[in-house]
Amino acid sequence: MTTAVKQATEWTAQELYERLYRGDLFFVLDVRNREEFSAWKLEGRAKLPTLNIPYFEILEEGGKDDVVESVVAYAQAKLVSQLPKDGTILVVCAKGGTSAFVAEGLRQLGYDAVNLAGGMKAWGDFYQIKPVVESQALSIYQVIRPARGCLSYIVASQGEAAVIDPLRHIEHYLNFAKEKNLRIKLVLDTHGHADHISGGRALADKVNAPYHFHPYDAIHPIDVLPAQLRFEFLRDGQEFSVGSATIKTIHIPGHTLGNVVYLVNEKYLMTGDSIFVESVARPDLGGRGEAWAPLHYRAFERLLKLPDSTVILPGHFSQPKEANGQGLFMATLGELKAKNEGLQMVQKGEQAFVQYMLSSLPTFPPQYVDIKRVNAGLLVPDEEKASELELGKNICALAQAYQ
Amino acid sequence: MTFDKVLDARGLACPMPIVKARQEINQLQVGQVLKVLSTDRGSVKDFQGWAQTAKNIQLLAQETQTENGKEIYVHYIKRTS
Repeated sequence: MTTAVKQATEWTAQELYERLYRGDLFFVLDVRNREEFSAWKLEGRAKLPTLNIPYFEILEEGGKDDVVESVVAYAQAKLVSQLPKDGTILVVCAKGGTSAFVAEGLRQLGYDAVNLAGGMKAWGDFYQIKPVVESQALSIYQVIRPARGCLSYIVASQGEAAVIDPLRHIEHYLNFAKEKNLRIKLVLDTHGHADHISGGRALADKVNAPYHFHPYDAIHPIDVLPAQLRFEFLRDGQEFSVGSATIKTIHIPGHTLGNVVYLVNEKYLMTGDSIFVESVARPDLGGRGEAWAPLHYRAFERLLKLPDSTVILPGHFSQPKEANGQGLFMATLGELKAKNEGLQMVQKGEQAFVQYMLSSLPTFPPQYVDIKRVNAGLLVPDEEKASELELGKNICALAQAYQ
Repeated sequence: MTFDKVLDARGLACPMPIVKARQEINQLQVGQVLKVLSTDRGSVKDFQGWAQTAKNIQLLAQETQTENGKEIYVHYIKRTS
């Protein structure tokens, strides 16, 4: 007699994350419309075989009144040769409702089909927190929003904590601090972000802590209007104490005029948008690429003078395969000097680097102008608008990283 | 925009606005127009895509209305054959 093992019919975002970062291979059937699919899709360490068939084509061509019956009819007519008979098929849509019907239809045909619970919305809002170092004297946690390629940090010592570049869903930081018994006493942004909405002001309000960023980024670079939200000025060299740890500010204008990096205990460098693992940040998101590129060069020149043992903790990644074995996005400066194309170009001098940067600019997403407005308090979006502005993966690095 | 029937799909999640619109359109005469109300923002792109796929309809217009601070997405679809 065999014991029936009930097959899972859905994966949560957490389960998806674990499989993507383990490098599991599975088939993805994405039933969103073609525009949404081409703007943003699932990526793992392994290249996932993926098929995009908008659900309305399945409904229309399946032709039945019942959704699952339409899926069965469509799949029998059109998908048999395209879907794998062995192995899991993950079905995804925008919010997880439609894909549940599609997965059900495929299961009726004998496929091992599972639904992504909550769809791409849930995946886009998924966060994972992982320790970089952990001790009473100093803990650093990398807060990862995998779908967007956004990274932020919690620096903790002796029960106190600072949060660097908090993302919009501040409950993740609040819950984590509560769980670890940490008092968040300081909120820091590295710059006025263009690709995502900062959680800085909201988090600082919630824990009654000061919120710092550099005043140059309190002027929207395209509107040339001053910020409409409260913040504390930050200056080059400014130091903060968190428990027994020290956070030092280094002002490196280039990506933005107020761009800074934070050096923790002279060893861990939160680079925000400057040095990434595979690439370097672009200089043009303030609309002044040519004028800012030489500043950006001098920023990297300054960072490259830090010891090779400095641990680089970036503000973004472009692809899951950049993560190390623990799923962390980090490397020493010495390692990156040897393998990061952008940093190698810096060593060729200002002229070559500026030319390299300006010839490697990816598209400028139009919503980035609005996101900078939100981060300066010049625009207040509702949840749906905020979610729409942030849809998809960040494009803050030079183009090389995407090839 | 004139129309012959209204489908109130407010509050319905994907794929139901299109599932119900397909059923309604098949009840209409050729040439008649269905007005669909939806609260799902994704319905805007999805109705455009559906109209390109389906051989018997034409998407005449789409508009966004605000009702009690909530956005309503309105689609006008004509049965063409």
